[in-house]
Amino acid sequence: MTSTTSTFSAGFKLTGTPFSPTRETIREFCEASLDFNPLHLDDEYMKGSFGKTTFGGIIMHGMNNFGVITKMLTDWIYEHGGVQRRLETRWKMPVKPGDTITPSAVVTASKETQGGRWIMLDVLVQNQRGETVALGEAMVEIPRIS
Amino acid sequence: MTEANFETDFWKDNELRKTWEQIVPGEPRKTIPYTLTLESIQKYCRVVGDTHPLYFDEAFAKASPYNGLIAPPTIHILLMFACTPADDWMRSPGTVNAGQSWSYNIPARPGDTIRLEARALDKFIRKDRLFVVHDNVFFNQHNQVICSGRGQTIRPA
Repeated sequence: MTSTTSTFSAGFKLTGTPFSPTRETIREFCEASLDFNPLHLDDEYMKGSFGKTTFGGIIMHGMNNFGVITKMLTDWIYEHGGVQRRLETRWKMPVKPGDTITPSAVVTASKETQGGRWIMLDVLVQNQRGETVALGEAMVEIPRIS
Repeated sequence: MTEANFETDFWKDNELRKTWEQIVPGEPRKTIPYTLTLESIQKYCRVVGDTHPLYFDEAFAKASPYNGLIAPPTIHILLMFACTPADDWMRSPGTVNAGQSWSYNIPARPGDTIRLEARALDKFIRKDRLFVVHDNVFFNQHNQVICSGRGQTIRPA
């Protein structure tokens, strides 16, 4: 994880650990998440058509992005006594074995409340071609120590 | 539910699952309590490459504000399947995740017995695709909210 500024103010940027899914990590994610949807297991099934979409082979679980983004946020905020409070993402394109995805986030705003400081971020996951695979927003809280 | 008796063949029982047409927004989904183990937390963490000491190092976690090992926020990814039965429509082969939003209250911990309240909230057709919005709240054995979330899936036609 790296940061380009040293504050929680707008513009603070985080970059998370790159993640390179393989057929093995996708299989392991099935076992760890209990999500055994054939989208992630069965190449023959994935050669079929899904309405307007054709995947051509197995794809990584969309929620694996959630785990990768969250690792970036918690590695950062735990060090400051903070808590991840919210994460919202939309999947823009599938991730396939052999891809490398990298999460990043930029602080967009923060707000002081009675209980602490809330920080809003835009989050992004890009593949090795710079294409956006997931897009969203997050919110973390640094509680006030009473 | 335990991992040992979990049915991993999602084609099995598929005819028992509700289709987009049969899903009624507002209707609760059947759920089952699940006891979260340290082993299942750490298995999930390793797979996503997240080995923070709050999840792995008992002494570190004990000295932290959490006073013990916790699960990462995204443990709901496992809980969604662990707390639902084999005929739950989230398992329908071809279910495509379109997006999710989750709010986190307190962490789940090893040994917690987790309960899920879940339902379809809405359904619609967009760009010729069949969508269902689902909403979910996970509670621990003290009836404290762990996290709540909403997601959109594209349903198999």
